Amino acid sequence: MNELLQLDNIAKSFGSTVALEPTSLTIEDGSFVAIVGPSGCGKSTLFNVIAGLLKPDSGEVHVANQVVTGTSGHVGYMLQKDLLMPWRTVEDNITMAARLTRGVTPEDRAEARRVASQYGLGEFLRHYPHALSGGMRQRVAFMRTLVTRHPLLLLDEPFGALDAQTRLEMQQWLLQVWKEAGRTVLFITHDVDESIFLSDRVLVMSPRPGRIIADFANPLERPRSLDVLTDLRFVELKSQILHLLHGAS
Amino acid sequence: MDSNPQKAPLSTMNIDRATLPRSSVRVTRSRRRAVLRNVGIPILSIALLLLLWEAIVVVFHVAPYIAPRPLAAIQSVTDNWGSLWPLVLGTIRETIYGFVCGTILGIGLGVVMAKAPFLHRMVYPVLVLSQGVPIIALGAPIVLILGFGIAPKVVIVAWIVFFPVTVNVVAGLSHVDQDLLNLARVYGASEWRTFFLIEIPASSTSLFAGLKIGATYAVTGAIIGELVSPSGASGSLALYQEHANTNFNVAAVYGTTMVMTAIGISWFLLIVASEVVATPWQRRTVARRSLFHREPGVDLTSTGH
Amino acid sequence: MKLRRTGAFALASSLAVGSLTMLALGGGASATPVTNVTYAYDFPGPDFELIPLVVAQDQGYFSQAGLHVKVVFPPDTSTTTKLLVTGAANIGFITTTDMGVAINAGAPVLSIGNYTMSNNWALFAKPGVALTANNLKSELKGKKIFSYGDTWTESMLPFVLKKAGLTDKQVDIVTDPTGQDFKFLLAGKVNIATNTSNYEVAGFDTSGLKGKEPTLLGTAVGAPNIPIWVYATSQSYAKSNPKTVSSFMSAVKKGTLWAIANPTKAAVEFDKAYPKSGYTDAYNLDGWKLTIPFMANSSGQYFTQTSAQWATMSQALKSINLISSVPSPSTYYTNKFLP
Repeated sequence: MNELLQLDNIAKSFGSTVALEPTSLTIEDGSFVAIVGPSGCGKSTLFNVIAGLLKPDSGEVHVANQVVTGTSGHVGYMLQKDLLMPWRTVEDNITMAARLTRGVTPEDRAEARRVASQYGLGEFLRHYPHALSGGMRQRVAFMRTLVTRHPLLLLDEPFGALDAQTRLEMQQWLLQVWKEAGRTVLFITHDVDESIFLSDRVLVMSPRPGRIIADFANPLERPRSLDVLTDLRFVELKSQILHLLHGAS
Repeated sequence: MDSNPQKAPLSTMNIDRATLPRSSVRVTRSRRRAVLRNVGIPILSIALLLLLWEAIVVVFHVAPYIAPRPLAAIQSVTDNWGSLWPLVLGTIRETIYGFVCGTILGIGLGVVMAKAPFLHRMVYPVLVLSQGVPIIALGAPIVLILGFGIAPKVVIVAWIVFFPVTVNVVAGLSHVDQDLLNLARVYGASEWRTFFLIEIPASSTSLFAGLKIGATYAVTGAIIGELVSPSGASGSLALYQEHANTNFNVAAVYGTTMVMTAIGISWFLLIVASEVVATPWQRRTVARRSLFHREPGVDLTSTGH
Repeated sequence: MKLRRTGAFALASSLAVGSLTMLALGGGASATPVTNVTYAYDFPGPDFELIPLVVAQDQGYFSQAGLHVKVVFPPDTSTTTKLLVTGAANIGFITTTDMGVAINAGAPVLSIGNYTMSNNWALFAKPGVALTANNLKSELKGKKIFSYGDTWTESMLPFVLKKAGLTDKQVDIVTDPTGQDFKFLLAGKVNIATNTSNYEVAGFDTSGLKGKEPTLLGTAVGAPNIPIWVYATSQSYAKSNPKTVSSFMSAVKKGTLWAIANPTKAAVEFDKAYPKSGYTDAYNLDGWKLTIPFMANSSGQYFTQTSAQWATMSQALKSINLISSVPSPSTYYTNKFLP
């Protein structure tokens, strides 16, 4: 299996606070890796270093065997806020990355329309974001991330602002799209259930200083139905993670 | 139903039903009603005001040399329209030129100050000071430099307009979502593209707020300019009114006030209209069909349901 | 009427002065009941033409006549007439041309006495520039002439242009109600200024500038010799308070004569009454002294009006279409309240 992402001893401090201890990590191509941890454990810092928004104090970032430390434009990136531009239509938002770099081509637009109609928003291409529900906006944001064709996608709690019902539906939707699009996903979440439901692998992080304290392989098979939520292996993995997060009782 | 048979669209989910757009027929009907409301009611209230004015003059036997009846004021305007029209045009010209200059200056200054905090700290106190200067005191110095003619009026209007525009442009640019800017960086966007494609549209609400404030005062500025800087033989609307006042032509005084008010309101409404045109997302849920992005062979209406 | 020096400082301070009440001084505390009279000046602030009234107050002439006079200042130079017809003021100070347009508009005002008896409106030029009656045409042709835009100036200019043999298209009349004539003249933005000589020359004398400002009296170049300012009241007030009006004019005459005989002391009384007028003591004294020569006519009379002056004035207004018809002169004035 190919290694898509490699981190060599990445460390980052802000002043006297150590946000991230020297951390090394390898992510396989095509895998779905979840990162769970409380606030301040360094997960967002990790993302920002991988995305090139932050320069690490030490270490290197490799994406597809290329050194990309401190540079940007090589990953897809998505936050809890959809960050859709209110002054642009859904279609224009999906093609945002192209517009911000080399300019939008007719192929970009056709791809945007294809993706939108494939994943249920074909009717809303000329709508403005404010006319859409929260879930729909996050799906547009995901499509925007998808069309950039980056093999690595960083998703930072994308469903955190949605209600539980919508969140469940979005998780199922995400799994479907991921399967079809064939990308590598790094997914940050607070929600332990979500991390196990979605991922092949769960990394647990801990604060003060920020570091990875556990790396679990997810035994559950794919495709994942709602039944896995009550599977014994699910519950056991969840129990292990919870203990790590909240201390042994 | 679906143009792409192998991949079934995921559109039967509950989350889609949450906000379906209103039907286009309902949109048109409610928009017609809104126009009626937004245009009809102001016209009605103006008519009521004029009626009230007429009533006061008649009931209290107000002498015609104190205050005229509204019809007398209007008649004074229509009777003298030949000589008033070039003066009105002059005031309009001063307003437009001054507003444009003030806007360009305001946007330019605002962008520079938003991008360079050091300049911001240096320039901001000077800006505030500039607004503390009473406009009336500006008249003579400006005329001594720029002479008689349209230039001093344009300067005065620009002086009044640029400040709210600058302040609002600075505010708008400083409040662009930092996460959105980060996202643009992650995508590898250049500074220029980020500025034109994100920062400028993001501050459009602020910008138009500033423009509307400036527009409100622009005509007043032109009138003040006409009063404090002579216009030579061509005259000006303000001087026409001043003249009417000294010559006890009360109907003409009120009439010219009505004309000035009309100019002011029209200019403001023009700016509001340009905001509506420039920022369609604030009023519409669906964008108008663009003339540019039409692709042959792709029929959007058949993308299924 | 706007023929004044209105430098920015004077305007600002005159706006600050607003309406002042003069306290009744001196005079024996008599048993006669006191009548309140509101007197409206023609300018937003006090200046030296108010001196006769200040003296009448200070020397006790008003209180002796049983009058308590309150001086008010209008917000601008076109409002005094309106104050009179609405009753906000009882007696006021306006120009003869103000009277003309007011009567034409149907406003019932009445002139009760001249202030100056002759016309001291004049043309002025920058020191060193030639300004004579003989070469008027060449000195005016194509030049920029400053006007305050007031009715008086507009009535006078046609006479001058006619004498010079020029049409109004052959000169450039620059109208500025804020009155920056002095600045524009010195900066060379206008070639000729117009004003009344007392204000203009007093301003020049106290400006610290060298030389003399070339002055050409309007009457030397075709302007009629009619008085500029008058005391006025409303027709209804005159009808219902004839004794008060007579007593007022009587006291004003006494004050005027005293001020003419004692100009320095009179100016000092003005300085004391209005210390924040915005004008220097030297300016006030100079201005008053420059006004005195025009207060009496060639027969040594004060205040007395003639039909001829009013007829000339209304003809002038008619010829520039500021009034629609010429009424009989007696419509404008009466001398019966003069002592």
